Amino acid sequence: MSQKKGKRAPIHITLADIERAYKKVEEFQRLIERGKTPERIFKDMLRLIEVDK
Amino acid sequence: MISSILQTILDVATRHKITTAIIGGLALPAYNVARTTLDIDICIKIQSQKQLNTFIEALKEKEINTIQEPKIVHDLFTVFGKRSEAEIWLKPCDAFQWDDQMVEKIQLFFGDVHVLAIEDYILTKLARSDRSSVDIDDVLKIIIANKDSLDWEYLHFRLKWVGLESDFIEIIKAFELDFNNNIRNISRDILDKFK
Repeated sequence: MSQKKGKRAPIHITLADIERAYKKVEEFQRLIERGKTPERIFKDMLRLIEVDK
Repeated sequence: MISSILQTILDVATRHKITTAIIGGLALPAYNVARTTLDIDICIKIQSQKQLNTFIEALKEKEINTIQEPKIVHDLFTVFGKRSEAEIWLKPCDAFQWDDQMVEKIQLFFGDVHVLAIEDYILTKLARSDRSSVDIDDVLKIIIANKDSLDWEYLHFRLKWVGLESDFIEIIKAFELDFNNNIRNISRDILDKFK
């Protein structure tokens, strides 16, 4: 019940990583512009978790 | 109405006056970020073993069970409902405990769903003992999406508190790399705000 102590991944960020992060943020913003709310997105994520289980 | 297991846990916690916050990937939409996740992670602030036992009994009455024997010194335990499961953390992260300021800064997301302050959430990502590249990606996205609303002073304080300033500097260097290559103003802003 105590979490097994693993090892923290070292931080090595490439230009591709940061490009991808900007793209993902833009995708989220587009969803919001199309009328989805963060609450709705949260609920959709929850539904997917339950379906998957 | 949200997922039955999550809603029940939140209802029981509210009835027993237990502070809760959603953590992990599921909390990301509260910070204007999203990605797929398979886990429901909730952290609760429990004061005593007696309170923890009462909470577990109350969950059991609602058909949410654990096969473990959680103790207040543990990091987390898993509970199972009819269709899904959730991990209930007794601290926000395996690397640090709750403190009063962290509890005070908990934010309402919607309904009775609460999340940590964004700076504390970043800390849970950076400090966890099994930190992965997914956690670093999440931190990048959170910084980009919230650069204007982040309390940079509080973030500095927390990074120092948990001894992760040098790790965060590595993340900030990525924005320098981006600015040098793409001349993206958001990266410049982030670098300025970090100073």
